[in-house]
Amino acid sequence: MLGYIARRILIMIPTLVAISAVSFVIIQLPPGDFLTTMINEQLSRGENADMNQVELLRRTYGLDRPLVVQYFSWLFGILQGDFGYSFEHELPVSDIVGDRVFLTIVLTAATTIFIWIVAFPIGIYSATHQYSWGDYGLTFLGFIGLATPNFLLALVLLYFANVQFGISIGGLMDPTYIDQPMSVGKFVSVLQHLWVPVIVIGTSGTAAMIRRLRANLLDELQKQYYITALAKGLPTRRALLKYPLRMSLNPFIADIGSILPELLSGSIIVSVVLDLQTTGPILLRALQSQDMFLAGSFVLLLAVMTVIGVLLSDLALAMLDPRIRMGGGATK
Amino acid sequence: MTTAARGSKKPSDIDHYVNSADWNPAIVETLTAKQEEYYLASQWKIMWWKLQRHRLAMICGAILAFFYASVGFVEVLAPYNLTTRHLTHIYAPPQRIHLVHEGRFVGPFTYGYGFQLNLDTMQREYTIDTQDVQKIRILCRGDPYEFWGAIPARFHLFCPAENGTLFVFGTDRLGRDMLSRMIYAGRISLSVGLIGISVSFLLGIMVGGLAGYYGGWVDNVVNRIIEIFQSFPQLPLWMALSAALPANWSPILIYFGITIILGLVDWTSLARAVRSKLLSLREEDFCTAAQLMGASPRRIIGRHLMPSFMSHLIASATISIPGMILGETALSFLNLGLRPPVTSLGVLLKEAQNINVVALYPWLMMPVVPVILIVLAFQFLGDGLRDAADPYR
Amino acid sequence: MMRSKRLALVAGTAVAAAWLATAPATLAVEPVETAMFESAVASGSLPPVAERVPANPVVVDLSADGKTAGQPGGEITWLARRSRDIRIMNVYGYARLVGYTPDFQLAPDLLEAIEVEEGRIFTMHLRPGHRWSDGVPFTTEDFRYLWFDIAQNEELKPFGPDVRLLVNGEPPVVEIIDETTVRYTWLAPNPEFLPALAGARPMYIYAPAHYLRQFNAAYTDPEDLAAAAEAAGARNWAAMHTRLGNLYEASNIDLPVLQPWVNRTAPPSERFIFERNPYYHRIDEAGHQLPYIDRVIVNISDSSLIPAKTGAGESDLQARSLRFDNITFLKEGESRNDYTVHLWPTALGAEIALYPNLNADDPVWRELNRDVRFRRALSLAINRDEINAVIYFGLATPSNNTALPNSPFYDAERAQRWATLDIEQANALLDEMGLSDRNGDGIRLLPNGRPLDVIVETAGERTVEVDVLELIRDTWREIGVALYTNTSQRDVFRTRVFSGEIAMSVWFGMDNALFTPDSVPSELAPVDQNWLQYPKWGQYVQTAGDAGEPPDMDFGVRLMELYDGWRTSIDPDEKAAIITEMLDIQADQVTSIGILQGVLQPVVVSNRLHNVPVDGIYSWDPGAHFGLYRPDTFWLSE
Repeated sequence: MLGYIARRILIMIPTLVAISAVSFVIIQLPPGDFLTTMINEQLSRGENADMNQVELLRRTYGLDRPLVVQYFSWLFGILQGDFGYSFEHELPVSDIVGDRVFLTIVLTAATTIFIWIVAFPIGIYSATHQYSWGDYGLTFLGFIGLATPNFLLALVLLYFANVQFGISIGGLMDPTYIDQPMSVGKFVSVLQHLWVPVIVIGTSGTAAMIRRLRANLLDELQKQYYITALAKGLPTRRALLKYPLRMSLNPFIADIGSILPELLSGSIIVSVVLDLQTTGPILLRALQSQDMFLAGSFVLLLAVMTVIGVLLSDLALAMLDPRIRMGGGATK
Repeated sequence: MTTAARGSKKPSDIDHYVNSADWNPAIVETLTAKQEEYYLASQWKIMWWKLQRHRLAMICGAILAFFYASVGFVEVLAPYNLTTRHLTHIYAPPQRIHLVHEGRFVGPFTYGYGFQLNLDTMQREYTIDTQDVQKIRILCRGDPYEFWGAIPARFHLFCPAENGTLFVFGTDRLGRDMLSRMIYAGRISLSVGLIGISVSFLLGIMVGGLAGYYGGWVDNVVNRIIEIFQSFPQLPLWMALSAALPANWSPILIYFGITIILGLVDWTSLARAVRSKLLSLREEDFCTAAQLMGASPRRIIGRHLMPSFMSHLIASATISIPGMILGETALSFLNLGLRPPVTSLGVLLKEAQNINVVALYPWLMMPVVPVILIVLAFQFLGDGLRDAADPYR
Repeated sequence: MMRSKRLALVAGTAVAAAWLATAPATLAVEPVETAMFESAVASGSLPPVAERVPANPVVVDLSADGKTAGQPGGEITWLARRSRDIRIMNVYGYARLVGYTPDFQLAPDLLEAIEVEEGRIFTMHLRPGHRWSDGVPFTTEDFRYLWFDIAQNEELKPFGPDVRLLVNGEPPVVEIIDETTVRYTWLAPNPEFLPALAGARPMYIYAPAHYLRQFNAAYTDPEDLAAAAEAAGARNWAAMHTRLGNLYEASNIDLPVLQPWVNRTAPPSERFIFERNPYYHRIDEAGHQLPYIDRVIVNISDSSLIPAKTGAGESDLQARSLRFDNITFLKEGESRNDYTVHLWPTALGAEIALYPNLNADDPVWRELNRDVRFRRALSLAINRDEINAVIYFGLATPSNNTALPNSPFYDAERAQRWATLDIEQANALLDEMGLSDRNGDGIRLLPNGRPLDVIVETAGERTVEVDVLELIRDTWREIGVALYTNTSQRDVFRTRVFSGEIAMSVWFGMDNALFTPDSVPSELAPVDQNWLQYPKWGQYVQTAGDAGEPPDMDFGVRLMELYDGWRTSIDPDEKAAIITEMLDIQADQVTSIGILQGVLQPVVVSNRLHNVPVDGIYSWDPGAHFGLYRPDTFWLSE
């Protein structure tokens, strides 16, 4: 088992290095750099940019060095725990990201729970009642969230939350609570603002979950042991809950690993529309303004999370599934 | 029959009758006509039968068939052209279609709009003039267009009354009919999905086939590449690729560029499926048999292996199409998608993505309906196809 | 000292500014302590107000501007689209050495007085007892530090001082005369100096020396400094000094400032709290120290949500990120959320303008664009009234890209010159050019046989540009010109215009059309590659001939002559005559095809907030948006 983990981690390293290089190149791919973006923005507002000043900035930021040099100095910085410096925010990258990670985790956790609560019963029902109108109806409901473009749904819900319930528009809390210590009022405010993004992001994730749960359960329901259990007179309900359901839970476990990066990057657009204080909007802005150390570190972070997530869910599956567990024990 | 043969008495001890007729082994298990048809049926035919059991998938298939068929006739279906503007009907709300006017049946018609600009609220106010009956014409002459870019024509399925208006879904900021715009936009969005999936399909089969066929280091390299692609967040990839499209490309080239990008981002899962299927099928008996008979690897892959999981591939491809259509709307949202004057559903939704629309002109969000319809239809059809393609079910 | 000389020199200079109304000896108004600081003063952590304001503070005559005297206290909120935009607080604050008054005259503000001789010798007098927001005196040492320790430092300014401080490439002679008097002298007039000091984004010629010395290698041990720079994540001490000493950005909360409000929230944050500056130099006639408002809160929100949030009453004073098409929505929320939408015209020469590129690479297009008949014909074939009605409710003013009605240089005839719909005349002009052959679709043919397809490139940010082009397409077709739109991205758009790849582009008109004799007419002459009709001429001037092409058309040469003449002139009448001629040339030559001007900017003001003018002008520079109207005089009622 330990050897397996070690091998997996070793394989991860070249992948991550490749990802870091690719992300660095990709951020540079659109024409221009951060400074041209900045100058253009200033010009459009009538603020004139002093070209000498810009040249000075370019030197200060090291943007005049060749790309390869920039990349390696960034990479070695990361190895020492320094993720570089954000041009736009004029702060070290870690300061900016660190601040928002907590709310991102809260949002992601809430969304994951929402997905499970919705997908679980629908998945079971539609597997046990395949091709019934109930199956169709519930699956339809589960899928409608996937089919609706997120950004529009988000805006509509936002507006109605404000008009109907008087909840301040956007964000994850009322602005007065920003930078304040946690209090009952702040907690309530977060809850009030959380449901819109949770529904919007959550509904787009339920469909995949329903489909996998349904497919897995259908597979299990055709297996001999289930038929035997029924034949021996076990009540359907108990037979279902005791064995096949446990087997078909695999997607939930597999998703604990993959859901995190998926929600983080999948929810970027929604976070931007809803102006959430999560990592998504920062990433998008960094990409758009080619704030490359910030964007690069972000992309790398997401990739690392994906890779680690996959590893974790593989391990979790191994723990849960005796067959894998035994096999794993044998190699030890 | 085997039990009979294992009888305790020796055969020579028994008088027995031997039929002189030729023995037909099949006679023991007679197949009904239906069974025979089933066993002899091609894979595709079985799939089709199975699919028929999935009612929803069939309905969705029919809807999609209708949509795609209409792609060729948008000019005829739309009452107006894509860019026809009505400067006196800016932000006009949808017109209801009535049948009965003052207790008398007149057939489908709309009431005309009275218009007035309210400078206090800065709003255009429309009043329904119940005296102004505008009868909708069916199979009629309307806005001129060039059918398939070549034949000048004026024929429409239905048009507004002469000097009347027909805005079933209202109009936008330049007084363009939303229904017509949606019909035209649907054409682009539907084709985005098809072209995108073709790209991803080709790439997936080629790369996956390469890996599965050669195995060894090729397989390793391909696997690493796929792994990198899959751990890479999709959004930056999209953004970088579309931002890198040359800005001096014409909107049509951009359109192709965008569809290809959508395909490029999507191919990995297909490639993976192809590869693993190839690897496992390689070990099957029928494959060994073909090898022993001296078939070339190319023939084995092309003739024996591919067809055996093509149905499966098509099913997964169907499920990816809605992702592409939604991907296009997301790109439009980021201002990286199709550029005007090319109009897709994503472009229309992007235009609707603002608080004015939600609060004042909600009918501009109408394009969300065809998007939902198309995406759902593809989902259910894809699900049905996949169930049908699964040989074990 | 030398009072008589000072007064004598004021006359006949570009800036007729000398003494403020109240001299120190006759300070009639006794400053009153602000409620917010009472406890701090009582506990001794803050000196009383009389010691905090300068010996002769600015006593604001509110009634002169049609404002009312208010009461101190309260807080307001506005929304910015990103945290960098907190710098706009320093624009709204608008404490400048000299600043514009609401009628666009320059007047001393932080300075007690300024004298200008021959347009080249500027003597500035500080207010005795004026202090930075940390209580340290604001003296000529702060000017000395900037000029000798920053502007001339090789590491801090490797490219030398701000170009606006150079006249013909020569820096000024800076003399520190005493603790409150400093003089800048050039060999030739520097007409850009005072407008630069009064800018929305001003040129700073002072810096808080007492604070910045600790980051300067000339004053602090280099090793300590290197360690500090590394700890701050800066590349070297110079980078740290530049970042921490930036008076405009408002991001360093330790940096002393002179503005009415001081940032108290260190970035990163989504909510920045600015508090009143206890040492601010302006008081009202009742003795209340300004600003009236205790706190200004800047909430960061995505720009697309700002209209929605404003309409929901989440901003007390908002104009940024609101656009004309939000007016209907904003008006709807007026009564529900207790605010009023004021509509201020913008100061752009034209909201939208087409730029035929006179430096286009393609010889056919270059020749075409350079034919004034072609430019005039295109301009004549635009139905500006229709565009106004369809897109702006008829509330904008159809006009070419020229001076605004509020400017003394406005001329109604000039604003309409070649800018009224006349298809017949336009057709006649094009026929006269020899473009009379047309193809089957009625599109004129170029000499090389190609149809006259004008491809207009947009930067792809404003949908209104594409909409206007759609409307123009119809009338252009009537004169046999086909219009196609190509949407690009801003970076690419600019580079392609600069290099001549784009023959016709669409962008905003002139940024500032509120011409006064003092405003630098740089937008009227080909002196900047950002003027999209002649980018290469601009490059040539900007790089002193290293790149680009010299102006090679008569009117271009003439514009440059006029521009140079304006810069060296110190006679207001001559300057005015020059600007008039430049405006005439621009309108007559139709170098840019303006569509409309005076488009209304929604300004949402909470009903509790007073002294915000109902009819203002929304202008960046001169004007600094709200800065012109002095937000330190805005006050809140209960």
